[in-house]
Amino acid sequence: MPFSSNRREFLVQVGAAAVGAALGGPALAQTSKPMAERPRPRVVVGRDEALAKGEPAEHAEPIRKLLDAAMQRLTGASDAAAAWRTFFQPANRIGIKVNTLGYSTHPVVVDAIVAGLRAAGVPAENILIWDRFDSELVRAKFRLNKSTTGVRCFGTDADRVGRGYQEQVETNGRIGSCFSRIVAEQVDTLICVPVLKDHNLAGVSLGMKNFYGAIHNPNKYHDHNCDPYVADVVSHRFIAPKWRLTVVDAVRGQYQAGPGRSPEYFWPFGGLVVGADFVAVDAVAADLLEAKRRDAGLPTLADENRPCRHIATAGARGLGEADLKRIERVEV
Amino acid sequence: MDSLDNIFLHPTRRDVLRLGVACGAAGLLCGRRNVAAQDTAGTGALEGPKLEGVVRHEARHWESLPDRRVKCLLCPRECEVADVERGYCGVRENVGGRYQTLVYGALCSANVDPIEKKPLFHYRPGTTAFSIATAGCNIECKFCQNWQISQFRPEQVPSVEVPPQKLVDSCKAAGSPTIAYTYSEPTIFYEYMHDTAALARQQDIGSVMISNGYIQEKPMRELCRALTGAKIDLKAFTEKFYVEQCAGELKPVLHTLEVLKDVGIWFELVILIIPTLNDSADEIRQMSDWVVKHLGPNVPMHFTRYHPTYRLTNLPRTPVSTLERCRQTALDAGVRYVYLGNVPMHKGENTYCHNCGTELIHRVGMQTTDNRIRDGKCPKCGTAIPGVWSQDQALAVTSRPAEV
Repeated sequence: MPFSSNRREFLVQVGAAAVGAALGGPALAQTSKPMAERPRPRVVVGRDEALAKGEPAEHAEPIRKLLDAAMQRLTGASDAAAAWRTFFQPANRIGIKVNTLGYSTHPVVVDAIVAGLRAAGVPAENILIWDRFDSELVRAKFRLNKSTTGVRCFGTDADRVGRGYQEQVETNGRIGSCFSRIVAEQVDTLICVPVLKDHNLAGVSLGMKNFYGAIHNPNKYHDHNCDPYVADVVSHRFIAPKWRLTVVDAVRGQYQAGPGRSPEYFWPFGGLVVGADFVAVDAVAADLLEAKRRDAGLPTLADENRPCRHIATAGARGLGEADLKRIERVEV
Repeated sequence: MDSLDNIFLHPTRRDVLRLGVACGAAGLLCGRRNVAAQDTAGTGALEGPKLEGVVRHEARHWESLPDRRVKCLLCPRECEVADVERGYCGVRENVGGRYQTLVYGALCSANVDPIEKKPLFHYRPGTTAFSIATAGCNIECKFCQNWQISQFRPEQVPSVEVPPQKLVDSCKAAGSPTIAYTYSEPTIFYEYMHDTAALARQQDIGSVMISNGYIQEKPMRELCRALTGAKIDLKAFTEKFYVEQCAGELKPVLHTLEVLKDVGIWFELVILIIPTLNDSADEIRQMSDWVVKHLGPNVPMHFTRYHPTYRLTNLPRTPVSTLERCRQTALDAGVRYVYLGNVPMHKGENTYCHNCGTELIHRVGMQTTDNRIRDGKCPKCGTAIPGVWSQDQALAVTSRPAEV
């Protein structure tokens, strides 16, 4: 079946974009401007060779410094705290969506993000680290905190605090899903922290794909390289208008056989990819993976019949910039 | 003895009926659609402790691929699943290159239903079926009436673990001659259904699969050795409908029907008629012609009434006149037994002898109130009526071996 939008779906998308713009969402608000008129989004690739050695958990301070430097380059702010304040206010209720399926987000990277938020004046109690399951968070070495003090951390499935999924099906484009109550009801601001990794169907599993962890039925949306379903998920009013920042955990990457752990394809990249335009961040990170695949003598993702359609679709829908030529890529 | 676990450990007739009543009450509380609609599940009222996490059991019908991926060969979708990922159904997971089912015995719904509710009208009328389900489905119908279990993953639905023998014991205690695998899509809990049905058959309990028919030939034939009947949803007669409304395909379903015909197992068809989507006269005519040509005139067809639900809520209920027209079309095409569903008190609920027109079975809603069939024959003209009228007949070896 072709994946072109029918009239009804188009109207749904336009409606969602209008809602996003009204709420001041950074991504959907951009749809009001034609692509050519938009400023080039900046994506910062931060890298430190020292991070490529040893265990990531050993590099807490260098990772924090690298992230702060990336944030300053991203925003042009004179100091790190000011950079974080560009995106986050003390009153925000911030959800940090990590990825704990297969090769997981490193807690040390999230610790650096939390430090930045705290420097910006966000109370610890306003910060929630989350994913689908408590068990997966624990497996990824996150410490659960379901109390009302400190930085909280739990899964959508957590009794009483995660509260499962909404009972009503939300329809957006081709998806019909119940969203995690965390993303729907408990947070008003999102930071996405995916891992720089391969995905056997979507091509890559980066920021946008990470939000499959916000719906109850991601298994239904893997056909056709997860497209247009990824764009349908992230353009929903619970995601795009709240999404302020993406920090791709590229301390270690995996360039083949993802999303499960395959040590033979681990890549000690030793860095982070940071940006506010979530489509642009995914485009740059996917390009890094493609380059690594070339170096390793592997076919392109397209040649393996898993092109990153979802990034192109998100760009075509105006959710962000997917064209690498129109992305300002800077390195620190 | 309040927990569901206790009920299944030491089931008494009272326990089983209480479970059924509890689930039935939940159905009533969930809204009117559950009162009239055929084979809706009683969800959310299962007593007993929630199953912690998921159960894990080696899956069948899959093959290995490079990089610890697997290819599922259970249904026509043939999902290629990477390590740590699940198939489309959401209940089968790749764990380090081995495919596992997460719903072996993980029941999320259980009721003692009239067999007519499945609906099976020519299979032991007037008896009950101990009806169970797990979470999950291998398609996604936008009009699914049981979406709260079929479209969720097992860890998202309260469930209890019930091994096959415990289920058979519970069925016996309820006085039901049949277990029905139903409500969601039993194909996705294939291993549990297969093992339970085989065990049940050894203990004179029948097993009926209430399915969308979206399953590959090999597992279907293998399963038929244990089953005693089936009901298959024929959602429509166009690929367009299957793709756009169900995320499935028509062709494999038609093939399953031909396999069932070849095996010789008793089965009936249900067609949910949805205004403007699958109710055209041409489509019903083509479908009926296909049924007569490929399956024969004795396979009953049930045209049932759509009610707005799940993701398809912008269409009205199916007019009864539309169902009557579909029924007449099928009768005109040569199908001998054509019924209306979700239209209580309609004469289209009753069974009439295809030879002399005598009313053989009178039904009200989902209950048989009068059954005049004697020894499988019309009491007036003596014509043999197609169907399964006794437990011995249900358990008899099928006429053709279910070779795999």
